[in-house]
Amino acid sequence: MSITEKLLCSKSHEYLLLNDDNTYTIGLTDYAVEQLGDIVFIELPEVGNEFKKGESFGAVESVKAASEIYMPISGKVIEINESLVDSPETLNDDVYESGWLIKIEATGEASEQDDLMEYEDYKEDLE
Amino acid sequence: MTKETFLHDKHIKLGAKMVDFAGWHMPVQYTSIIEEHKTVRENVGLFDVSHMGEVFVSGKDSLAFLQKIVPQDISKLAYEKAVYCQLPNKSGGLIDDLIIYKLGINFYLIICNAARIDEDLNWMVRNKKGLDVKIDNQSHNYSLLAVQGPKADALLRTMGLDTLQESFSIKPASICGKKLLISRTGYTGEDGYELLVENEFSEELWDEILDYGKDFGIKPIGLGARDTLRLEAGLHLYGNDLNENITPIEAGLSWSVPKDKKEDYNGKDVIMSQIANGVTKRLIGLKMLDKSIARHEYEVYKNGEKIGFITSGGISPILNANIAMAYVKNDKDICIGSVVQVMIREKLHNAEVVKRPFVNKNNRVKI
Repeated sequence: MSITEKLLCSKSHEYLLLNDDNTYTIGLTDYAVEQLGDIVFIELPEVGNEFKKGESFGAVESVKAASEIYMPISGKVIEINESLVDSPETLNDDVYESGWLIKIEATGEASEQDDLMEYEDYKEDLE
Repeated sequence: MTKETFLHDKHIKLGAKMVDFAGWHMPVQYTSIIEEHKTVRENVGLFDVSHMGEVFVSGKDSLAFLQKIVPQDISKLAYEKAVYCQLPNKSGGLIDDLIIYKLGINFYLIICNAARIDEDLNWMVRNKKGLDVKIDNQSHNYSLLAVQGPKADALLRTMGLDTLQESFSIKPASICGKKLLISRTGYTGEDGYELLVENEFSEELWDEILDYGKDFGIKPIGLGARDTLRLEAGLHLYGNDLNENITPIEAGLSWSVPKDKKEDYNGKDVIMSQIANGVTKRLIGLKMLDKSIARHEYEVYKNGEKIGFITSGGISPILNANIAMAYVKNDKDICIGSVVQVMIREKLHNAEVVKRPFVNKNNRVKI
C-alpha cells in the first residue's frame, strides 16, 4: 500500500495521516508544493499548542508568495519537523516521508474528518 | 480574454508554469525561480517580454509633446540613445514608467508596462491637443525578447550581431537574416539586451538564441525570476512601487528628474516643490534581520508606531537574505543602518534600512 492511499486531504491542500500509535501526521500535499515552487521559509507552531479544525497553525512561503497552513482536524501539537524549519527547500524533494510538518493528538470529534477526501478523490477534485 | 504572445507555444513545450499577468498568459517559471535567477546573474537568460507595450511617436511636434509628458529632458536625448522616464499626472503621481528611445528626427519609441498601455495611450492623446504628433501603438505587431546576463553580449556577437558599445543605446540590426531593433537595456540589474522584432520572426529568433546560447549556459527565464532580479537590482515595479499617488521624488527617482529643464510638464510644480522642500514619504530598501520574508502591503513600524508599508519584498538568491522596498514617513531617524520592524502574520520582525540596489552589476558598461 503506497503512502498516498492512507492519506486524507483537505481542500486547502493539507494531508492527514493516521499513525500506528493513533497520533496524526499533518503535511502539505505534493500538488500544493508543486504549485508553490521553490520553498524558502516554513513557520511551524510550538509543541503543546492547540488548534481547532480550520485554524492556521503555520505558514509556508515560496519565492512567489506566503501561504497559511490550516488544521485538517482539531488537535494538540506533539512534535514538529525542526529540520524543515532549518532547510525549507527540502520540502520540494518530498512531502510525505521527510517533509511532514507536525504530529498531533486529535482533540475533536471523529466527524471532523467527514469533509476530508481520499487522495485519489482529492486529485480528481483538482481537475 | 487573456492574451497570448507569439511565443506562447514555446513556453508550453518547455514545460513552463503559466500564470495570468496583466491580461496575458505568461510563463512564471520553467524549472525553478532561484535557478533561473542565478542563471541570469552568472551566465545569460532569455525572457519573453512581448506583453510590454511599444508606442511610436512621430510628427514635427514630437519633441514638444514628449517634453510635456515626462520630467526627463528629451531635448538632450541623442540619436539612438534611450532614457528612463516617468509619465506623471497633473499632481506628479505616476501613470506609468517608461523607456523612451530616439530612433530618428521626430521619431521616438516608447516602451511601457503591459498593464498600463490603455491608460498611457489615453493620457498621451489628451496631451497631444494642438500638436502635430502621431501616436502609433504597435504593441500587437512586435515581440520583445530580453537576453540578460554577463554573457549576453558574447552570445549575441557569436550569433553575428554587431552589438552596442554603450548601455541605454539602440539601433537597427539584423540577426540570422531577420531585421530587428536591438537595445542595451533590461530589467534585471545585469548587462543585457532587448530585441524588438516583428511577431512573425519571434519564434525562430527564440529558438536560435536558445540554440546558440547552449554554450553560454543559457536558460529561458520566467516572470518569477524577472521579479526577484529587478527587486535585487532595486528597480521599481509599476503597480507595486509606483502608482498614481506616488511622485518620482518620493520613489527615489530624483536622478531621472532634471532640475534645469525649462519646459513645463505635467506635475512639474509638485515635483519641483518636493525637490526644494522635501517629501513626507519616501522609498527605502530593507534587509530582514531574520529568516522572515516581507511581502507587498505588510506594515512597517518603528518604536511601536506605524511608519509605512512594504511595496515589494522577497528573497535575494544572491545575498542569501530577504529584502524589501517600503514607503515610510520621511524622518531623519530612518536612515541607512536604522532598524525598523515589519509586521508579518501579527508578529514584528526586525529589518535594517539598507542602500539600493541590493546587489551590484557583474558587468558594468558605460552609460
